[in-house]
Amino acid sequence: MPIGGIIISVRPEKTEEILFVLVQFPGVEVHGHDEQGNVVAVIDAPSTWVMEKIVKKINVFEAVLSIGFTYLNMEDEVDGPAPGERIPGLFHGVELDAG
Amino acid sequence: MAQSRREFLKKTAALSAASYIGMNLPYAKAGVAPGAEEQTWHRGSCRLCGTGCRVELGVKNGKAVALRGVKDARTNFGYLCMKGMLFWKCMGHPDRLTKPLFREKKTDKFKEISWDQALDIAAEKFADAVKQNGSNSVGYYGSGQCLTEETYLFQKVFRGGLQTNNVEGNPRLCMASAVGGYLTSFGADEPIGGYADIEQANCFFIIGSNTAEAHPVLFRRIMRRKLDNKDVKVINADPRVSQTSRIADLHLQFDPGTDLTLLNAMAHVIIEEKLYDEKFLSDYTAFKSGKNETVDLEAYRKFLADYTPEKAAAICRGNMTADKIRQTARWFATSKATLSLWTMGINQRKQGVWANNLIHNLHILTGQLLKPGADSLSLTGQPNACGGVREGGGLCHILPGHRPVEKENLRNQVEEAWGMPKGRIPAEPGYHTMAMFTAVNEGKIKALWVNCTSPMQSLPNVELYAKGMKREDVFIVCTDIFPTLTTQVVNLILPAAFHFEKTGVYGCTERRSQLTVKAVDAPKGAMPEVWIVREWARLLAIKLQDPLIAKCVESYDGLEPDYALPKAIWDEYSQKLTKGRDNDLRGATYEVMKQMADGVQWPAPTEEYALTGGTVKKFVRGMDPMADSHAKDDKPYQFYGPAHPDGKLWIWLREQAAPEEVPDAEYPFYLSTGRIVDHWHTSSMTGRIPELLRANPYAFVEINPKDAAKLGIIPGDMVEVESRRGKNMLPAKVYEGPTQGMVFVYWHDQHPDRLINKVTKDAFDPGSKEPEFKICSCRIKRISGPQALTPFIYNG
Ligand code: SF4
Repeated sequence: MPIGGIIISVRPEKTEEILFVLVQFPGVEVHGHDEQGNVVAVIDAPSTWVMEKIVKKINVFEAVLSIGFTYLNMEDEVDGPAPGERIPGLFHGVELDAG
Repeated sequence: MAQSRREFLKKTAALSAASYIGMNLPYAKAGVAPGAEEQTWHRGSCRLCGTGCRVELGVKNGKAVALRGVKDARTNFGYLCMKGMLFWKCMGHPDRLTKPLFREKKTDKFKEISWDQALDIAAEKFADAVKQNGSNSVGYYGSGQCLTEETYLFQKVFRGGLQTNNVEGNPRLCMASAVGGYLTSFGADEPIGGYADIEQANCFFIIGSNTAEAHPVLFRRIMRRKLDNKDVKVINADPRVSQTSRIADLHLQFDPGTDLTLLNAMAHVIIEEKLYDEKFLSDYTAFKSGKNETVDLEAYRKFLADYTPEKAAAICRGNMTADKIRQTARWFATSKATLSLWTMGINQRKQGVWANNLIHNLHILTGQLLKPGADSLSLTGQPNACGGVREGGGLCHILPGHRPVEKENLRNQVEEAWGMPKGRIPAEPGYHTMAMFTAVNEGKIKALWVNCTSPMQSLPNVELYAKGMKREDVFIVCTDIFPTLTTQVVNLILPAAFHFEKTGVYGCTERRSQLTVKAVDAPKGAMPEVWIVREWARLLAIKLQDPLIAKCVESYDGLEPDYALPKAIWDEYSQKLTKGRDNDLRGATYEVMKQMADGVQWPAPTEEYALTGGTVKKFVRGMDPMADSHAKDDKPYQFYGPAHPDGKLWIWLREQAAPEEVPDAEYPFYLSTGRIVDHWHTSSMTGRIPELLRANPYAFVEINPKDAAKLGIIPGDMVEVESRRGKNMLPAKVYEGPTQGMVFVYWHDQHPDRLINKVTKDAFDPGSKEPEFKICSCRIKRISGPQALTPFIYNG
């Protein structure tokens, strides 16, 4: 179960709005923010796959300009993915197997 | 994991993030140390792009368990992108190659063999080829992802041992035009400034680069600079609106290939409105016509007369207007400091060198160079295209230390350093990449070593060259960590150690060399390339009865391969072959680099100087030791680059010239290709990381909504993209990205239906020999509604 430390850079005037959005994501904790639009957050997710999905969803907001990772701990996940797995699903708009 | 441990890790994560932006969190004082401390931390570079971000790998019980950015690194200040965060997953991956595999015929099944057998076969086949067909029947095709020590040693054995300059690498496909541009405009390869200019720039001119996806951490720095300084302008010039355009004040969209007109029109405005820097021009500049004749400012003005903004806007089309061109030129010329950034949109072109020259022209004309924040900065795609291949001698026409092969005195310097007789290195450059694979097609190359790259996916018009690689009379050996589309067509696969499983140096975009020291063991059976080459060269010497081949590796006898061997190779290269060259790296010893958070920028002739970080700006007296030692007069800037004997910067008169293939009635669309944030190159690594694969399991074709409407295509439909060379079938993404009349496809997908290099064109720049991946013509049609697709990663 990985834990990631991230800095989300948002348009400063939209920081409050994004803070409100962030608390809706399960596993996302906001630890601080500043006037320049830097938001320090921690993602505690069941897998790096879910973490990636959360990051993608946060990134969709227009006010979010970039998400920078600074730290990732994945000590529970070191055995690596299974080879040759197949992921059913369509390209567009269909949820893929969450793994 | 106990709750308290998770809480501890979360606080660690938050503290690490907060520390990068100077934010104090309340519990910092409560005694939680930044970094979970059960693991040991090992510093190195990220593996997955040319930005050169510094990371620390956390290792526990011999396994990688954590990764964090290095806060003091001037490349990334601690930030990493998601892809960079996950590259460690390649290490223990079950698909790793761990046994040498051999088959006599390419239609046979592979058999596992021992390392002794494998090296013997590789030596036998190369020796046979040389005996029967001469030195030029063998070749090396390497990569901008190899460590410098690896590229250097391979080319040493091929040139000094086998006596061929058939030494190439995939940077020919991405950076060669930038090399040509720097050499012809500034007289020396590689940028004058670097990333430090980002925080001081007031105007960014980003052209032909989707920085946000291809260099995410650099994009973050640009974005931060803009957010923190309201007057900073960002201009994004690209036929496609991309993630990068999100922060642009002005997006210039034009038909692919018309950017030479745009750049000349900007110069036109700068001249007409007298926005140029007269003193800079008279002190430091020469004007050159296409035939390398010296002309003057007046001739340049006349040359540009035809490039009025009005005419240019009509040629460029898209959203271009004369006013936008004027505005761009004014911002560019009058900002306190302008920084241009580009990548493959400029380089992968038949006029790639010219396009580079025209960007440099604007900087020279306006004096937007050499001062803080101003630079003409070509971004590199691979982590070691600059360090290993451009500097280490990894292309057919250059020897280590930026030495052109055809210069006898420079060849002699290398021969002397290697203890070889004069004349050992052939004077003729070898085959450049496209010529090399043409020679493979023609059966002229009989034995080829492919190292850490996958030409079966990355060459343009790839099916044509696949024919040659499949020939039974061409022996191919491939060193890699995973099966790739290329391992499909080879005779011998040698399993290699991955990043952090071996030691060596990467040199990123900004002349910066950074060391990564081995932190974990490679899977049993995978070996570092430097060991492989040393052992192979010894056998080759016996089979060819040539002691000079053995001499190439003699001084490395008995050295263990994890640290001592690469260190000895680096010492030889840096001390003997960069001495007195413009990439002088003598100060950048392993000992110095180990002390630095982020390595050393060359020139760095002494250790004492290297420990300051090296040269942030080339050519500036007081900032660049070579500008002082090579000074010809008392002017503050000294252009000592080897290619310009007059010591000047050259402004080139270069006309608009069309791409090799433009749309016509039969193939009415432009096709361009590029990267997506989660994947890298041929996705042999990122495709095996489920988080990244699932985020973008397939390539797709991006179509402008107006074109899609005309052709009855809706999002998700399966669309055929066909050129004169081949076709793909891909799902459609319909959005206001590509300009009308253009489609765009990501090139990472290995599936035969979605392998876009079947469709791209293999025309290349006559100067740089870099292919025109970015522009060809195609036609598209709807095949069906959405179809279930399966992601595909070739796995042997
Ligand atoms: S930007 Fe490039 S070098 Fe930096 S973390 Fe991402 S992939 Fe790695």
